[in-house]
Amino acid sequence: MSAEDAEDKGAAKSIISVRGLRKSFGDAAVLRGIDLEVAEGEVVSVIGPSGSGKSTLARCLCRLERIDGGSASVCGADVQGRHKNSDIARLVGMIFQNYNLYPHMSVLQNITLSPVRVLKMAPREAEELAADLLEKVGLSDKIRARPRELSGGQRQRVAIARALAMNPRVMIFDEPTSALDPELVGEVLEVMEKLAGSGMTMLVITHEMMFAKDASDRIVFMDDGLIVEEGVPSQLLFNPRQARTRQFLQRLSGGKPGSGLSGVNTDGA
Amino acid sequence: MELDFSLVLPRMGMFISGAAVTILASALSLLFGAALGLFVGVMRVVPFKPLQMLAGAYIFVIRGTPLLIQLFFIYFGLPAVGINLSAMTAGVIGLSLNSAGYVGEIMRGGIEGVPAGQWEAGKVLGLSYFGSMRFIILPQAVRAMLPALGNEFVTLIKESSLLSTLAIRELTMAGQQVRSATYASFETFIIVGAIYLTLTTVTGICLRYLEKKWSAA
Repeated sequence: MSAEDAEDKGAAKSIISVRGLRKSFGDAAVLRGIDLEVAEGEVVSVIGPSGSGKSTLARCLCRLERIDGGSASVCGADVQGRHKNSDIARLVGMIFQNYNLYPHMSVLQNITLSPVRVLKMAPREAEELAADLLEKVGLSDKIRARPRELSGGQRQRVAIARALAMNPRVMIFDEPTSALDPELVGEVLEVMEKLAGSGMTMLVITHEMMFAKDASDRIVFMDDGLIVEEGVPSQLLFNPRQARTRQFLQRLSGGKPGSGLSGVNTDGA
Repeated sequence: MELDFSLVLPRMGMFISGAAVTILASALSLLFGAALGLFVGVMRVVPFKPLQMLAGAYIFVIRGTPLLIQLFFIYFGLPAVGINLSAMTAGVIGLSLNSAGYVGEIMRGGIEGVPAGQWEAGKVLGLSYFGSMRFIILPQAVRAMLPALGNEFVTLIKESSLLSTLAIRELTMAGQQVRSATYASFETFIIVGAIYLTLTTVTGICLRYLEKKWSAA
């Protein structure tokens, strides 16, 4: 239902459409009425303090959490509807903080499992696809490796390749670099920036201000279950309208200097 | 007293054929018990209460009654309702059903031990509940449960000695026959014990090898 409204705006088609989204865990209201639109090809970063509900929002969009109120749809499909897991997986690719690679499978098997089992792709075709995607994330030489033989950065790049193998319409990243050692952050962000540059629609929950600033079209600041402010990076980061946004940004810059893109690593091997 | 194997050794053939029956019965029960136990373990965790309760009741009964009574019930009790089984069939069915109860509980623990993130990955990558179970969860659960399953298999070999009560000529029965023919009780049961020890040790070594291989894979 919500996709129609977005489309008659004439501009780019809305991929993610969230209206009045509410979610509680027991007595704790984690999302208290979120409205968010992400247009096709847009890269939106979501920032905010921990506990602000950012991750819960991401998890609601790929049906890992049930929604208590309001609505959320992806490409016009209500995520609350009675879908098979495979319906949403064709639309949304999800990247977890902890990668969640399958430890008992090789990198290749991690990537080909769902294309073969869910999309019914021929195994050889899926293997070619996996090889292509691994080349894109710079891990062609790791195709036979097991996840535990890889560094955190390499694992996350495999996870990105695995999600892309389903050819989703939008990629959601839930703090993709938060579990990584600082020196491994760059290689993952680089892959994400490349992906953003290729026109992929992306919603990125992140603490990486450099990525939010340089790679996103729009930044959303969340606090206490609400979207406090959103805007283009230059406005939101350097000229925030809300006191809470200012406070948050000040606390960030007052702390450790950002582990941003300064040490971009071009080769993860 | 002095050990004198001279009466017992000429009957080595009986021990060997007894051991063969023990191995056959244990291997068959292991196979069926593991398959059924996998099923019971999965039923125990599926998000559907009636199945969970059914599997729970099964485990409750199997673990709460003696194996000997289970065997007697199948072999001596079931003919009352018209089910007549040969001793060997009744014995293997009894051992399998018994083992399945224990394997089921081990499997449940193994399945629940796989991190929630693995289910989540399977789900967002489009696999159904049973697709995730089959390709992602069970392979990891079985690897993690291999030591416990190994213990269960060793227990199974030892408990197969109860099949002697159904007059199956497995190793324990063979021992009793040699004993009554020779009156060399001491030597007979030393040999019987040694053969059981060999079987359980070899099984243990095989399982440790499998463990190593699978964890390296």
